[in-house]
Amino acid sequence: MRWNLTVIIGVLVVVVSYGLYQLSYEVQQLNSDLRSIRSEIKENKQAVQILKAEWAYRNRPDYLKDLTAKYLPLLLVAPYQVASLQELPEREIDPSIKSLVGVPLPRRKPRLQIPSPVTLPSSGLQLATYRAGDGGSER
Amino acid sequence: MTDLYVSHQSPTRMSVGSRQAGSATTSKIRLEGSAKETLEQGRNRLVVAGVLFAFCFVVLAGRLIGLALTGVGSEVEDVAEDVAPKAAPIIHNVRAPIYDRAGNILAVTLDTVSLHANPKKVIDPVEAAQKLSTVLKDLDVKAVERKLRLKRNFVWIERHLTPSQQKAINNLGIPGVYFRKEERRVYPMGVLAAHLVGYTDIDNRGIAGAEKYFNEQLAGGSDRHAEALHLSVDLRVQYALRDELSRYMSIFQAIGASGMVMDVRSGEILGMVSLPDFDPNRPSDFPNDSKFNKATLGVYEMGSTFKTFTTAMALELKTVSLRNGYDATKPIRIAGFRIRDDHPKKRWLSVPEIYMYSSNIGTAKMADDVGPKRHRAFLERLGLLRRPNIELPEVGAPILPPRWNTLETMTISFGHGLSVSPLQLSAATSAIVNGGIYRNPTILKRDAPEEVQGRRVISEETSSVIRRLMRLVVEKGTGKQAAAKGYLVGGKTGTAEKAVNGRYKRDALVTSFVSAFPMDDPKYVVLAMLDEPKGNASTHGFRSAGWTTAPIISRLISRIGPILGVKPVDEDSDKVRKRMFIPTYSREKKLATF
Repeated sequence: MRWNLTVIIGVLVVVVSYGLYQLSYEVQQLNSDLRSIRSEIKENKQAVQILKAEWAYRNRPDYLKDLTAKYLPLLLVAPYQVASLQELPEREIDPSIKSLVGVPLPRRKPRLQIPSPVTLPSSGLQLATYRAGDGGSER
Repeated sequence: MTDLYVSHQSPTRMSVGSRQAGSATTSKIRLEGSAKETLEQGRNRLVVAGVLFAFCFVVLAGRLIGLALTGVGSEVEDVAEDVAPKAAPIIHNVRAPIYDRAGNILAVTLDTVSLHANPKKVIDPVEAAQKLSTVLKDLDVKAVERKLRLKRNFVWIERHLTPSQQKAINNLGIPGVYFRKEERRVYPMGVLAAHLVGYTDIDNRGIAGAEKYFNEQLAGGSDRHAEALHLSVDLRVQYALRDELSRYMSIFQAIGASGMVMDVRSGEILGMVSLPDFDPNRPSDFPNDSKFNKATLGVYEMGSTFKTFTTAMALELKTVSLRNGYDATKPIRIAGFRIRDDHPKKRWLSVPEIYMYSSNIGTAKMADDVGPKRHRAFLERLGLLRRPNIELPEVGAPILPPRWNTLETMTISFGHGLSVSPLQLSAATSAIVNGGIYRNPTILKRDAPEEVQGRRVISEETSSVIRRLMRLVVEKGTGKQAAAKGYLVGGKTGTAEKAVNGRYKRDALVTSFVSAFPMDDPKYVVLAMLDEPKGNASTHGFRSAGWTTAPIISRLISRIGPILGVKPVDEDSDKVRKRMFIPTYSREKKLATF
């Protein structure tokens, strides 16, 4: 009985100390992870700052103007090109649609459609040919 | 303890011996007498000691469990913190960025690396300088060598390296040369808003523009955080303004130009340009006169643009009505001066005509009727006689005449004899056109669209009349070239001779044009100014404001109108014509045309 108690206590001590050391190592590991993540965040923040500055630099109005002049056929907005939403004429709605009050429904029940396979002629495929001056009217 | 042990040693041994001897008969040994007492005493002492130790271990175990449950050793640090003297909390501040009103970056602080050396640890200065110059091409080898021979512990070699330069220098492996992390102010927009944003010195202290005025806010301090700055400037407007000004500056070979776009209802400055300008990323490469902010620091005699104020004053004080007028046949001679017209009509002119044809004679007579005292008080209320309040360190004070009598009133009525900055002119003009309320100009973005407090300068009715008069100038008068189709531009030309050493120089002009749009409900005031423009073939040699600065306004408003969301109107429609109608009461003899 006494021996058993000693053995149990001994095993308990081993188990508990193993667990404690494991925990301690884990904590140390997590701490170092935290440190590296924090420094990474700091570096990334600096990189974001630099990228933001770069973005602003790439969006300089004079640079954008050069690019639009090069690639887009845009001119200055003339007064007649500006209109407000109220000035747009109201669109006539088709009376057949008008009669349907509520949510518009699809005309057919939507379902997956698998086209039936086209059977090839037994003699093989005949490729289309063009004659000179034909103009492709035979197609 | 020892003697006690010894004293009961022998009886115990004896008893064991007797037990072994008598083991066959009985296992129990009875001790009698003093031996027994001693043994009991020993046992009791053992138990006491055991209990004590057990108690200690239980306490330790309890503490361990407690620590494991609550947190590892944090109590110790807490105690240490409580005991140790507290250091002041130091906030590490990075200089805050500056944004425009849409949130585009105008200035930002980036981390860079600088190169420095400890000359005492540099083994061979000649070789080190040679090696460094292979990476840093624009380095003066001799100067670096001299620096490295100094008997000091620290010398700067180059500030703000690029990452690739840093790597290359690191690869050179020169002993005694080190890197230091630093921060650098970067202005991605370059020259665009240079005068407004300003710049910093190499240690990131603001020394011009908003950088200087808001230095404490941007830099923060040991007890407060750095705060970002949101300016009212709109980059798109700013760019259009700078683009047009620089184009016309080169067309008319002017030595300088300035311009401003201002919101008349809030006093916000949407664009402010002074040319020639500089790149705040490398301010030392530019001459000092390019760092001079013509829009706020420069004061000029503004010429005829002052007629707006004279006319508004005369109408407000009712010394004259729109129907009245003055004889502008002959130049006025006063105190040895001659006041004459640039566009002489040589006849009686009504008030609208005086304004429209920019008659100096008529305006001078109009101001004379008001009198110097009231004239001065009126300009004072428009903020033209004292240094304006704006969030910039470079603000010029107006130059007032030493006396203010009839002669001064007459000349100031058409903008000579009183020098003000373009900023003051814009602010005063917005007060005239916005319904008569003066609001302080600001370069800061206003948050809410709430009504900004101001002081009333003229009545609503006078403001409305002046608006229509300004429209008349662009429609029929001296500023026809400022018209921008659809935006109902109204404005006033101003051509002034530059005063150099107390004399007017006939060949050096300052031409300006101050305008507002749309004139039926003004939202923005736009000012353009050219310094010493020269006429060319396209203007038939003329250099007056109607020819040189009015076209800038026309092009600029066509460009910024859509950006600012001003809805174009049909200027020829009856509705608009009716709203902008003003009778001219002309007495010009109409010649029949057969």
